[in-house]
Amino acid sequence: MIDLNLIIGGPQGGGVESAGQVVVKAIVLKGFNVLGTREYHSNIMGAHSYYHVRFSDGIVRALRLPVESIVALDAESVLTHINDLSERGFLVYDIDTLSQDATRIASMEPSLRRRLRNTFNSLGLNPTVANAIKILEEKGVKTIGLPLKDLLKKVSAEIGAPIASIAKTVNVIGIASSLYMLGFEPEYISKALELQFGNRPKILKPNITAASIAIEYIESNYGKRPILQDGPHKGKRRMITSGNEIVAMAKIIGGLSFETFYPITPASDEAFHIEENKYIEVEGVEKDSIDKLSIVVLQTEDEISAINMAIGAALTGSRAATSTSGPGFSLMNEAISMAVEAEVPILISLWMRAGPSTGIATREGQQDLLHSIFSGHGDTPKIVIASGDHIEAFYDTLKAMNWAEEFQTPVIHLLDKYLASTITVLDEPEIDPSIVDIRRGKRVESPGDNYKRYEITEDGLSPMAPLGSTTMIVSSLEHDEYGFASEDPIDREEMMKKRIRKFETIAKSIPESEKLVLHGDIDARITIISFGSTKQAILGAIEELEKRGIKINFLQFRILSPFPSNSALDVLSRSERIISVESNAMGQLSLLVRAHTGVNIEYSIRKLNARPLYDIDIVYGVERIIKDNVKSVVVSSGS
Amino acid sequence: MARSWLDYRTEAWVQWCPGCGDFGILNSIHKALAELDIDPKRLVIVGGIGCSSRSVYYIRGSNVHTIHGRSIPVASGIKLANPELTVIVVGGDGDILGIGGGHFIALGRRNIDIAVLIFDNAVYGLTKGQAGPTLPVWVKTKALPYPNVQGNINPLLLAFASGYTFIARGYAYHVNQLKDIVKAAIQHKGSAVVDILQPCPTYNDYMTSEWYEKRIYYLKDEDPTWDPAIRSIDEYRVKAPRIVEKMLEFGDRIPLGIFYQDLTRETLEDRFEKLTPGYLSSPPAKRPISVDSKPLVHPFKLFKDKVLVT
Repeated sequence: MIDLNLIIGGPQGGGVESAGQVVVKAIVLKGFNVLGTREYHSNIMGAHSYYHVRFSDGIVRALRLPVESIVALDAESVLTHINDLSERGFLVYDIDTLSQDATRIASMEPSLRRRLRNTFNSLGLNPTVANAIKILEEKGVKTIGLPLKDLLKKVSAEIGAPIASIAKTVNVIGIASSLYMLGFEPEYISKALELQFGNRPKILKPNITAASIAIEYIESNYGKRPILQDGPHKGKRRMITSGNEIVAMAKIIGGLSFETFYPITPASDEAFHIEENKYIEVEGVEKDSIDKLSIVVLQTEDEISAINMAIGAALTGSRAATSTSGPGFSLMNEAISMAVEAEVPILISLWMRAGPSTGIATREGQQDLLHSIFSGHGDTPKIVIASGDHIEAFYDTLKAMNWAEEFQTPVIHLLDKYLASTITVLDEPEIDPSIVDIRRGKRVESPGDNYKRYEITEDGLSPMAPLGSTTMIVSSLEHDEYGFASEDPIDREEMMKKRIRKFETIAKSIPESEKLVLHGDIDARITIISFGSTKQAILGAIEELEKRGIKINFLQFRILSPFPSNSALDVLSRSERIISVESNAMGQLSLLVRAHTGVNIEYSIRKLNARPLYDIDIVYGVERIIKDNVKSVVVSSGS
Repeated sequence: MARSWLDYRTEAWVQWCPGCGDFGILNSIHKALAELDIDPKRLVIVGGIGCSSRSVYYIRGSNVHTIHGRSIPVASGIKLANPELTVIVVGGDGDILGIGGGHFIALGRRNIDIAVLIFDNAVYGLTKGQAGPTLPVWVKTKALPYPNVQGNINPLLLAFASGYTFIARGYAYHVNQLKDIVKAAIQHKGSAVVDILQPCPTYNDYMTSEWYEKRIYYLKDEDPTWDPAIRSIDEYRVKAPRIVEKMLEFGDRIPLGIFYQDLTRETLEDRFEKLTPGYLSSPPAKRPISVDSKPLVHPFKLFKDKVLVT
C-alpha cells in the first residue's frame, strides 16, 4: 500500500503552484490516485505559499499531516513546516539558507516568528534553519541539502542563459529531487514537465535540464534510489481537475449560456475557466448548421450587477449563472429576494472562504451555510445544495441548473476554497453527463396573448415564457397573476401561498436520496453530521477509526434547503451520540438541524484556523469526545 | 396596419399625481414606439423602483419591474442574451444616478444597445420628497427640513465620461419634441441616455414647470447648424469641446436636444460577435443546450487539455 504526502513550499509568485501541478501530473502518469491543494496568502508575490499533495494506490480522500517529504527551498518554508514532517520523512532544502533566522524573515507572519523564537529558545537554540535541520535530524528525519546556487549555475551553463532568466527552475530542482527520492523514474518527471509546459518551449527546456541536473546530484550524493512500483491506474485516460474547473465544465456541459462574475477569490477561477472554453464545438445540432456555440461570460462592475445581469439573461430563456464568494454574496442578497418574488431561474455558485468580512480571503471556511439559506429579505425559500467532493460538484451543478429552471427559483450551490483549489484525478465513468438529463420545466415558447406569468396552479409552478415571446410583466413587486403590481389582500395571500406550494413541490420532487446520504452502518451508535467539502476527510477518518475499534456512521447533508427533516430525524433518533463536524464557529449545521428536527447536537468538532480539514483532525476529535468525554473539540492542525 | 400610440397603453391605472411630468414622458414614449412601429412582444421595458419606474405597467411590452437601482444590469442581461429585443430602461434620477450610479457608468463603458430614459425630477417622490442626486446644493424643497447640503450630479457629463454614445436632454411637457428625442435614442445603436427634465408638482416646488420654461431652449433653435453626430475621430476632436461646453450649461439657460451621438463605436454585442462569430445569430436565449435532453458536449472530449493517458 502506497500512501504518501508531500509539501512544496516557497514564496508566492515563485512557481510553487506550477511545481505542485507537475508533481500531481507525475503521480497520475505513474498510475496513482492523487489529491493536491494550494495554500496561499492573499498576496501577489513574496508571502509563503505551499502545495500539499497526497497520493496512493487506493482512494485519496483527504490530505494528511505529517508528510513524508518537504521541499523547502527558502528558509521560511523550512521553519514554517518544521512540525509538518514525519520522522520517516525527508526534507529537501537549500544549503545557503542554513544561517537564516526566523526573526529576520520579513515575509513571515510576526506571530509565527515569535512562536518559533520561543520554541527554539526553550531548547537553548536560535530559530535558524541550521538549528531546524538539527532538530529534524534528531527526530530521525533525513535531510537533503542542495547546493542550489551551484545547481542553478549548471542549468544556466547548459542552457546558455543567464541565471536570472532560469531562476524559477529551483522549484523543479526541488520537486525532481523529492520525486526521485520517492522512487519516480526520471522520465515521469520529464513527461509531467512536458504536459505542464509543453506549449511553452522556452520554459520547458530549462526545466527539463534542471530536473536532470537535480537527479544527477541526488544520485551521486545519495546513491541510486529503488524504483517505486507503478500504481494500479496505468494505461488509462484520466482527467486532472480542480474544483473550480469541474464546476466550470459542468456548467458548460449543462448548457449554461450566460455567466457573470466580479473578481473574487476563490470563485473567479471558475468564471475564468468558462471563459477559456466559451466558444465550443458541438455535434448533432441541426439548427442553422451551427457548429460552434458561444457562452456570454462577462466581468461586471460589482456582484450586484453580476446577479442582476444573470437574472435578466435568465428571463430571456437562457441558462444563466453567477459565481461568487461570501462578500460578493452579501451584495447579491437583494437580487436573490427579487429572484424569489419574480420567480427567476438562476444558479449562484457560492465558493465559501474564511470570514467574517474579508477575513482571510484565500483560506478555508464553511461559514455561509445559514447566510445562503436565509439570504434575501422577506420570506425567500430557495434551494441550497452543498457538494462534498469534485464528483458531487459536477453532478450538483447539472442538477442545480435543472432545478433552477424546473422550479423557477434561485439555487445556491455551496462550494468552498478547499474544493476550489484542490486538484484530483478522475476516470471517464465518474463524470458521465448523460446520467443527468437536461430538464427545463414548464417552459412555453409561444404562450399566445393573455399570458399570465404568475398563473395560480396547484403545484405553485406557472408556465414560464421567455421575454420577447409575448406581452407580459415580470415583477419584483407583489403582483397578480399577470404580473401587475397589486396590494390587494387576496392577491397577496394567493401569491404567498403559491410560493409556499412551489417550495413544497420542490421538497416533494427532489428524492430524499439526493437530500442526504448516510455513509456507513445505520446501526453505528455514533453519528457524524456534516455538509460540504468535509465529506471525504470524514470518510477517511471513519475508515481509520474503524481500524481503532470505533464504529461511526456519517450523515451527509446534501440539500440544506428544503431541509430533509423527516429523513434526518429517522437517522438521528437511532444514534446515541451525534457529533457535528464543521469549519465554522457557530455550529451552523447544528443550529439548522435543531431548528428542523428538534434534535440537539451535543458534540462538535470544529476547525477555525482557516486551514483544510484533515482526516486526522476528525480522528483526533472523535477520540477526544469518546475517551475524554468533552463536548466540543477545536482542531488546530495545518500551517 | 401600423400601430397607433394607443396600442402601447395598458389597462393599468396610471397612479401618478395630477399634473405630474411623468404623464408627458409616458405619452411621448407611447408615440415614439408607435412611430417606430415596434412589436410590443419584442419590446422590453425595464424599470427600477420609484414613480417613473412604474412605467413598466403602463407601456405594453414584455416588461420587467426590478429592484431599486438595478434596472440597468437586468436590462443588460436581457439585451446580451437576446440582442433581437428592443430594450429600454425607465427610471428616476435617484434610481439610475443615485443608488444605481455604478451601473449607469458601467453601461457607458459597454455600449450595449439600450436606451436609458431618466425621469429627472431631482427628488425621491414615493418616499415623500427627499433630495435626489440632481437637486442643486442649498435648494430647500418643501419636504426638506433644511436646505440640500449635497451637490448635484451632471447626468450628461457623467454619461459622456462613461462612454455613452448617444446623450440627449428633453423636457417632460414638450411631448412632441421629446418623442423625437426618444425615438432617436431607441434607434441609436449603442448605449443611449435621455435626461428628461420632469417637474414634480407635489415635491419639487423649486424646479417647477415655470422655473424650467424660463430656462430651456433647443440646441437646434439656437444654432440651426447644430449636428451632434460624430462620424470620425477627427470630427470628435473638432466637436467635443463645444459639446462639453453645452453639457456644462445648466443655470439661467438649459439646453435641450441631442448633444452627442457617436457613430464610430461598436456595441458590446458587435464585440462578442467579433470574438465568437455566430453569437448574434445564436445568442444565449436562442441557442440549443441539449439534444433529446442530453448534453451537446462530453467532458472528456471537450476538455482534452485536462485529459492525459497514464
